[in-house]
Amino acid sequence: MEARGVEELRTYEEINKKIKSGDAIVMTATEFIEYVGRYGLEKASKDVDVVTTGTFGAMCSSGAFLNFGHSDPPIKMIRCWLNDVPAYAGLAAVDCYIGASSMSETKPFEYGGGHVIEDLVSGKEVELRAEGRVTDCYPRESIETTVTLDDINQAILVNPRNAYQRYNAAINSSNRTLYTYLGILLPNYGNIHYCGAGELSPLYKDKDFETIGIGTRIFLGGGIGYVIGEGTQHNPQNQMGTISVCGNLKQMSGEYLKGAVFYRYGTTLYVGIGIPIPIINKRVAVSAALKDSEIFTNVIDFGVPSRNRPIVKKVSYAELKSGKVEINGMEVKASPLSSFKYAANIAETLKKWIEKGEFLLSRPVELIPNYREFKPLIIKRRELIVKDVMTKEIIIGKLTDSIKDVAKKLTERGIDHLPIVDSENKLIGIVTSWDLAKAIAQDKKELVDIMTKRVITAKENDLIDTVVKRMEEYKISGVPIINDSNHVIGILTTDDISRKLVRRRLL
Amino acid sequence: MKLKLIYSHENVKRPILAEIILKTNLLINIIEAQVTANIGEMIIDIPSEGERLKEVINYLRSKGVIVKEVIKTIEIDYEKCIGCGACVSSCPANAIKQNSNWNIEFIEEKCIGCKICVYACPIKVIKAV
Ligand code: SF4
Ligand code: SF4
Repeated sequence: MEARGVEELRTYEEINKKIKSGDAIVMTATEFIEYVGRYGLEKASKDVDVVTTGTFGAMCSSGAFLNFGHSDPPIKMIRCWLNDVPAYAGLAAVDCYIGASSMSETKPFEYGGGHVIEDLVSGKEVELRAEGRVTDCYPRESIETTVTLDDINQAILVNPRNAYQRYNAAINSSNRTLYTYLGILLPNYGNIHYCGAGELSPLYKDKDFETIGIGTRIFLGGGIGYVIGEGTQHNPQNQMGTISVCGNLKQMSGEYLKGAVFYRYGTTLYVGIGIPIPIINKRVAVSAALKDSEIFTNVIDFGVPSRNRPIVKKVSYAELKSGKVEINGMEVKASPLSSFKYAANIAETLKKWIEKGEFLLSRPVELIPNYREFKPLIIKRRELIVKDVMTKEIIIGKLTDSIKDVAKKLTERGIDHLPIVDSENKLIGIVTSWDLAKAIAQDKKELVDIMTKRVITAKENDLIDTVVKRMEEYKISGVPIINDSNHVIGILTTDDISRKLVRRRLL
Repeated sequence: MKLKLIYSHENVKRPILAEIILKTNLLINIIEAQVTANIGEMIIDIPSEGERLKEVINYLRSKGVIVKEVIKTIEIDYEKCIGCGACVSSCPANAIKQNSNWNIEFIEEKCIGCKICVYACPIKVIKAV
């Protein structure tokens, strides 16, 4: 195969010359597909200079660098909030990065960094609050003011992962509704949500990254932006390639940058991206002509809570866009999460810009790689289990003990939980200091009357994380640890856990 | 109050609504009507509530008309809607459709008022009313 990116049919210079003289033939991906269908690939690739694409969807790995300028006296911001949304301030004195999925501390799951960006770009006033580290250079301790996009020196959208070539579709086999980053998934295969723009998808229209690379000029958020490299989690060999992009926020618009919320998941930003694909060789033309029926993705079962969620079905975007997908003999309704309406508008707008000579194509300085090893995160440190943390000294009470005996044990040993065992030393209940207080208040005399009989327990090899969740669920602060024959072998309390975690952090 | 009326073939030809209007003097508004020879479906709006509304409903029922209340539950701001479709398959009653331009359409009669769409909309343009 010839080198990737070979300019066989036309060069960037030739295309730009035609754009400047108003002679370039530009089509949206949808129009190009139709043209190829009518006249064949040979003629289409000769006739058409540029194919425009578009996508408008939730892109969590997005955000903006902002520079506020110096106040008097000046501050070195170490913590910073915009409309109560924390921004990263571990940069120079008055620089910060506001990330799309950072959530408001006062209105979490409602308002986030994505909304801050939309508000700024729409000309709204945003509250800035910051705490500083007082030094001889920066005497100010804190600041509270409002800013608009005009007040800010620089506002640069820098998104480390955007525009997935395609994305998994989601379904839910479990019997409860799931709230995911792919929307609300109704129980028992109730619906399918999918993402990605299919035949308009910028990165699928140049599947092998022959024209897209560092320096590619693109439509970004309603203005002009640039590709700055491969995106994080770039996985092109599985058609899950991504790009990172940047652009001056000041020339973008709230129409194509919209703060969004995924219910019970978090906040994000809908980003509009359009990439012009120059038809430089035959392979690029073939890729640009791919139809929804030729672009496939997997329907993944989110009902299974693991990284390796099972694939329920391989489907084409044509099937997804039909609104119904057949799963195990059932018809399941499918709807998108990204907006095809906006995607089409973006491809159309970009086409107009090029036709009017306002937008020239740029040859990338370096192409995006078309292969990248994809690594999961391996948990190297052995995860904490109950045995590592629990108190092994066993203090227990007998059913025959009086309430007074129990109270004495609790106070003398400075503990809050006392497991109660029967004559065979098997666990039959638990008494807490709270139960004792209640006993006194209600004038109860017998231990059986005050102890909790349905005891929540754990085993010594259980993961700490799982036990903590169990404790949160039942709102308890300690669990007896039992062996297989129901004998108490220790106790695990929230105190044990925090002590251990603090030690870990100090080490 | 909006009501959905279902007529059977026995009563579809009788001027029941006209009778009610004459009797009650209420300005009943017919929003939608689909009537064939043997069955009719109608959505009407009655500018009334409480006892008088009950009276109308009882009268209709006494004439063999099936009466269902249409409760207005949600409102979509179509101006701000981006046509993403997140609400469409989330709706358990199929009350939101997406047409070929990906614009959405709300079919009020089908809505069961669960409000899932209010939560499903990432742009928050669906309001519970
Ligand atoms: S309230 Fe429920 S039934 Fe009505 S449109 Fe919304 S999701 Fe559908
Ligand atoms: S989820 Fe909201 S923005 Fe998307 S189509 Fe429905 S109403 Fe419109």
